[in-house]
Amino acid sequence: MSDTGPEMNEPEALAAEHALGVLTAPERAAAERRMASEPAFARAVDAWRRRLAPLGMETTAVAPSDEVWPRIERALPVNDNNPQLARRLAFWRSATVGAMGLAAASLMVAVYLGNRPPVVIPAEAPAAMPMLNASLNTEGGQPLFVASYDPVRQALIITSLVPPGTDPLHVHQVWLIPPEDGVPRSLGMVEPGTAKTVPLDASISDLAHEGTEIAVSVEPPGGSPQAGPSGPVAAIGALGEI
Amino acid sequence: MPAVTADDLSALMSRVAAGDREALRQLYQATSSKLFGVCLRILSDKDESEDVLQEVYVTIWRRADRFDAGRASVMTWISTIARNRAIDRLRARGPLAHAEQIDEMEIADGAPSATALLESADQVGALQRCLAELDDRTEQAIRTAFFEGVTYEALAQRLDTPLGTVKSWIRRGLMKLKGCLEP
Repeated sequence: MSDTGPEMNEPEALAAEHALGVLTAPERAAAERRMASEPAFARAVDAWRRRLAPLGMETTAVAPSDEVWPRIERALPVNDNNPQLARRLAFWRSATVGAMGLAAASLMVAVYLGNRPPVVIPAEAPAAMPMLNASLNTEGGQPLFVASYDPVRQALIITSLVPPGTDPLHVHQVWLIPPEDGVPRSLGMVEPGTAKTVPLDASISDLAHEGTEIAVSVEPPGGSPQAGPSGPVAAIGALGEI
Repeated sequence: MPAVTADDLSALMSRVAAGDREALRQLYQATSSKLFGVCLRILSDKDESEDVLQEVYVTIWRRADRFDAGRASVMTWISTIARNRAIDRLRARGPLAHAEQIDEMEIADGAPSATALLESADQVGALQRCLAELDDRTEQAIRTAFFEGVTYEALAQRLDTPLGTVKSWIRRGLMKLKGCLEP
């Protein structure tokens, strides 16, 4: 590219392009992974984000509708990054039933016995439960799907990076493969280019942990006619904390 | 609404990291219009932008402990989350999403301004000056890429210019920008 003048070195250019947002979905996923494994690259992306941030201030502010905040509030898990969580749980346990938030409500069960005051039976405090993530890659290392398991909601969120409309003659079936027995459990289909939240039954959510593999196979319409995948596995990856 | 300063946001963010829902609500009140504007500009769809906005604040709640004031201001950090989520959603529509110019969005009046939250006016001014030093088409390409979150491919299609040329304009433009901002 001698006629285009001086060029940035490759990692610097990639960092700038990632911060600017011009990369494709697989390139973005690759850049995110590189940020996680290469601190120097992560710093370069951060520096570019800072440089470009003032541009964002030109965006016109638009008020979202009033329904959004209540939706957010309902979706909030107990955040597990709280150094004071233990103390707050202790407070909740000792508190009588009052105006409790959703999080508190999920931690205890109020039992009414005749006309006696309510007795609060504290449930065991949940352990810290971070999201588990997996990048589902092809054999060649290209990410085609991203999966996140939310242990609080006991749901797997699967996002297809496959362009919509790709291969209308087949469907993409999602599988959960625990290391315990290596038997694939079907989690249903995901449409190209969409994201989907799959609630997991307790029997399956127990199997969603670090090291469990999530795979996607290419199947005839309606899904695999057999218990496990019948078509080729397009992409696979293991859940882990990222 | 009283003006919220960058320091107020930092204080709110440490309370959010400590699991304080009221602090998240205040952060939402102070910043949601700005972040919704970012999502809407990229996605140009109200419902989808509200879905993304919800994901953004849940992400902020989950990851508040990872916020590092030494690496970014609160506004930069949460705007980056919003841009990334919106761009991920846009990418899911395919590589040529928004290759066609979209009509100017209808912007509601009276939304609270986030001006007080900004990076310092100096930084805004410096970036403006440096962008103005680029040739017009490069400046336009960089602005379009930033505001609308489109890929090189979509940009090339929209500008009716070969992909390699657009890529080269932007890369050289970014390099000049860096040199101008950090001489």
